[in-house]
Amino acid sequence: MLKNYFKTAWRSIVRNKAFSLINIIGLSIGIAASLLLFIVVQYELSYDTFQPNYNRIYRVATQDKFDKDITYNSGIPVPALKALRAEFPQIQFGALQSAYGSQVTVPADKNETGNKFIEETGVFFIEPQLFDVFKYQWLTGSPASLKDPNNVVLDEKTATKYFGTWQQAIGKTVVLDNAITLKVNGILKNTPANSDLPLSVIISYVTLEKCGQSYNHFDTWNTTSSNFNIMALLPPAVKMDDVDRGLLQFSKNHYQPLQSNSIKTNFLQPLSTFHFDRRFASFGDHVTSKSTLLTLSLIGIFIILMACVNFINLATALSVNRSKEVGIRKVLGSNRSQLFGQIMSETAVIVGISILAALGITWAVLPYIKHIASIQEQLSLFTIQNLIMVVSIGIIVTLLAGLYPSLVLSKYNPITALKNKMVTAGVSGVSLRRGLVIMQFTISQVLIIATTVAISQMNFISKAELGFNKEGVLILNGKSDSISLSKQSAFKQQLLQIPGVQSVSFNNDPPSSDNLWSTNFAYNHQPDEKFQISLKFTDADYLKTFGLQLLTGRSPVESDTMREVMINETLVKKLGIKNPNEVIGKVIRIGRNQWYPVVGVVKDFKTSSLREDIKPTLITTRKTFYYCTGIKIRTQQLANTQLAIQKVWNQFYPEYAYSSQFFDENIERFYQQEEQLSLLYKIFAGLAIFISCLGLYGLVSFMAVQKTKEVGIRKVLGASIISLLQLFSKEFTILIIVSFFISVPVAWYMMHSWLNNFVYRIPLSSWFFITAIVSSIAIAWITVGYKAIKAAIANPVKALRSE
Amino acid sequence: MIELKHISKWYQVGGKPTFILKDINLTIKEGEFVSIMGPSGSGKSTLLHILGMLDDANEGEYHFMDQPVHSLKEKQRSQIYKQHVGFVFQAYHLIDELTVYENIETPLIYQNIKTNERKAMVADMIDRFNIVGKKDLFPTQLSGGQQQLVGIARALIAKPKLLLADEPTGNLNSKQGEEIMDLFKQLNKEGVTIIQVTHSEKNAGYGSHIINLLDGRIEKTN
Ligand SMILES: Nc1ncnc2c1ncn2[C@@H]1O[C@H](COP(=O)(O)OP(=O)(O)OP(=O)(O)O)[C@@H](O)[C@H]1O
Ligand SMILES: [Mg+2]
Repeated sequence: MLKNYFKTAWRSIVRNKAFSLINIIGLSIGIAASLLLFIVVQYELSYDTFQPNYNRIYRVATQDKFDKDITYNSGIPVPALKALRAEFPQIQFGALQSAYGSQVTVPADKNETGNKFIEETGVFFIEPQLFDVFKYQWLTGSPASLKDPNNVVLDEKTATKYFGTWQQAIGKTVVLDNAITLKVNGILKNTPANSDLPLSVIISYVTLEKCGQSYNHFDTWNTTSSNFNIMALLPPAVKMDDVDRGLLQFSKNHYQPLQSNSIKTNFLQPLSTFHFDRRFASFGDHVTSKSTLLTLSLIGIFIILMACVNFINLATALSVNRSKEVGIRKVLGSNRSQLFGQIMSETAVIVGISILAALGITWAVLPYIKHIASIQEQLSLFTIQNLIMVVSIGIIVTLLAGLYPSLVLSKYNPITALKNKMVTAGVSGVSLRRGLVIMQFTISQVLIIATTVAISQMNFISKAELGFNKEGVLILNGKSDSISLSKQSAFKQQLLQIPGVQSVSFNNDPPSSDNLWSTNFAYNHQPDEKFQISLKFTDADYLKTFGLQLLTGRSPVESDTMREVMINETLVKKLGIKNPNEVIGKVIRIGRNQWYPVVGVVKDFKTSSLREDIKPTLITTRKTFYYCTGIKIRTQQLANTQLAIQKVWNQFYPEYAYSSQFFDENIERFYQQEEQLSLLYKIFAGLAIFISCLGLYGLVSFMAVQKTKEVGIRKVLGASIISLLQLFSKEFTILIIVSFFISVPVAWYMMHSWLNNFVYRIPLSSWFFITAIVSSIAIAWITVGYKAIKAAIANPVKALRSE
Repeated sequence: MIELKHISKWYQVGGKPTFILKDINLTIKEGEFVSIMGPSGSGKSTLLHILGMLDDANEGEYHFMDQPVHSLKEKQRSQIYKQHVGFVFQAYHLIDELTVYENIETPLIYQNIKTNERKAMVADMIDRFNIVGKKDLFPTQLSGGQQQLVGIARALIAKPKLLLADEPTGNLNSKQGEEIMDLFKQLNKEGVTIIQVTHSEKNAGYGSHIINLLDGRIEKTN
């Protein structure tokens, strides 16, 4: 029976080549697209799930409640570790301190300065206890390897990078930031890529006792750095809520005596949210919001639905031609379920072919996935989950696409089916078909609108007036240890000798960054203000190098320590002062420091990404924080200038590896996820339009055949070609207009909330919507046009004779 | 074998019923060869479809081999039909996607007969109709007469007790028609009950008696 089903199925597919092809193309693209999205979503959801204690691991995070807003911090004051251990003995805690951009030097015989590696992904000072919470695979050594100071554990790839093979690494020494000598006494297996705590260089936590200062590790209740984290493993019976209640009391006891202007509270953040909560800093390479994942899943489902719609539409349309066959089969004794099975198996064969094609497409496209998702790892297609997914997609699509046509066809009364094809076909499924076409065009138009809005917003961002100059500024990352600082002015002089260099500025932070160094402050001898300010420590050439504009007053004079301060326009406004000149000569105090005079006001510039408001900012001098060198260079002979800069660096800091980025590239990185989403919209809007046009084309080709006779008669009666074209296009045009009115509110809601992610955003103008409707009608007409014109200009006599 | 009592069939046309068949009473015994005649539109095909259980009457009783067809469920009816009735059409109605062999085989598949048995039965039938050379051709590759032969072979493959034929020779030339009629005669002798609709007096003469339909009523039987 089954064999027979598939045989006839295959024949009917071959007989209706054009329709089968349209179905297979549409379905395979749809399946491939949603399979890809599934792989991405599943990968993102898989983060950290390999941890055996996944559901019991938490981070003890911190929130600061100010008058109006709450800020979140993944970090916690260092002394909290001891206090937590004392007050929550039932919970296992493990601490880690991270440092980014540290340099590891591997001594080499020939090269006197050794091989230098900058560890951008971080080095971690870790307690052995952390490995009670997070489990890692050890190639050699154990958590106990981190008991004593000056020990380091490397992961396999880093050990190989430093020493050739991991076996050779054991027992060797490396130097951290040219200051701390460390002995390798353990090797970890590489952390899986889907980890939010990837460890490559792990230094024993006790090492910090001597050098904590250099890594912003201060044993005081006053400082909360996101670089210091405490992880917790709850016993199975202990509930998160109970611990949170305990932490509330804990916070009251420890933070209230400090009398800060905020209420500080510790709470548990479950490991299962590490990868999805953008409020907290991540140790991994990226954080994905759940709403992005939802968008991806929805797009995947929509695309596959659209392909199914094509299938249903074409199959019901085609059922007109099949009514004869169905009638005969019934006369020959087939019952409904047998017919149903037969038509279902035809669907299954088409879906099967499409799935094979889809697997091919997915396989070919998978390496490019990193352009639409922050996935650097090469994912594999043939995993159990994907296999299960493919099979379930196959079953669902077969049911979705095949059910309705099978029901319609198998329901036919045999006599009517044999006698009068047209009548039955005309009635069955026309309204359904209209509904489905409307659904398709609604999806396409929503995606068109989303695409144009996303592209415009991203354009707006790249063209936005930032208030500073982002082009042609090279950023060098340096260290602010005392030796390097003493060489700074000579280094600057040497750099300025290079013909392509216009100016050089030492600072802690370029104008726009995602750095969050903020503090409480007071103005003009009043009590502390109710909001925080962000701090930037810069030398006097900062304005010149980054092209910032002075509103009034002047820059602070060059000084190794804090002496004078400059503030931005936003801070002036937030203080409730109308005239910026008023603040000149007044005093400001940050933290518990002394009072410093304000000497200038800088015109507003975007202090962070355009998602956020401009932060009230204070700019002042303090040499020990100058980690960063900004160099404004001429755009001519860029390569030569860069080489010359590197040469000067190596001459001054041979023990430090040279690393530089262009400032505008750093800024682009703020919008990586938005850029990916916008690209994603582009691709999938394109696919959606393609699939719906494919379906439209199929329907029109079918209509053209059906209407051959009608068109012939009308022509004989004197109809014009235009009026004949209307015969074909009128219905689709109406359907597109109907779907437009459905898609407007959906798209408006969707993009309105997306744009709300940005403080600086474009208005959601009606042009986006007009573009969508005009382009979809145009595309539909072009699709319909060819077949319609062909039918309309055909010789009427021929059309009539071919009855 | 067949008993119709007060069978009526009507369609609603413009709100009021138009009768196609009106109060038909009819008995056909096993082994008979009946011809139905009458002008176009008199309801012959409709009657045949009701006899073949492809269509329902609006009123009346239909007993087939002592079973009350009019009150049976779709499933049971389909079961009786599958086992006992074969149908031949004027327009042949072969499945274009299937070969001659497969067309003939199809009814057996629907009766869940095993592959080997099926093979033997189809081979026998193909032998009998002398179309061995054509068994792998598709219907469009055959002449009208050949197609009708296949249609009859298909109708007979499941060894029906009743063969219904709606103008089986309507599209054939007189020589082909004669061959088909001879075949029917032969089948009838072997015990198959045959009911055919025909416009030709000559063909009607092959049967044991004739039913004349006029405007949905039985005019006379002889
Ligand atoms: N769906 C329908 N709605 C209304 N009337 C119908 C319908 N189907 C059939 N009829 C009418 O039923 C009548 C009988 O049709 P039937 O096909 O049985 O005639 P017939 O005797 O077989 O004619 P012919 O010799 O031309 O084949 C016709 O007048 C036809 O118009
Ligand atoms: Mg008829």
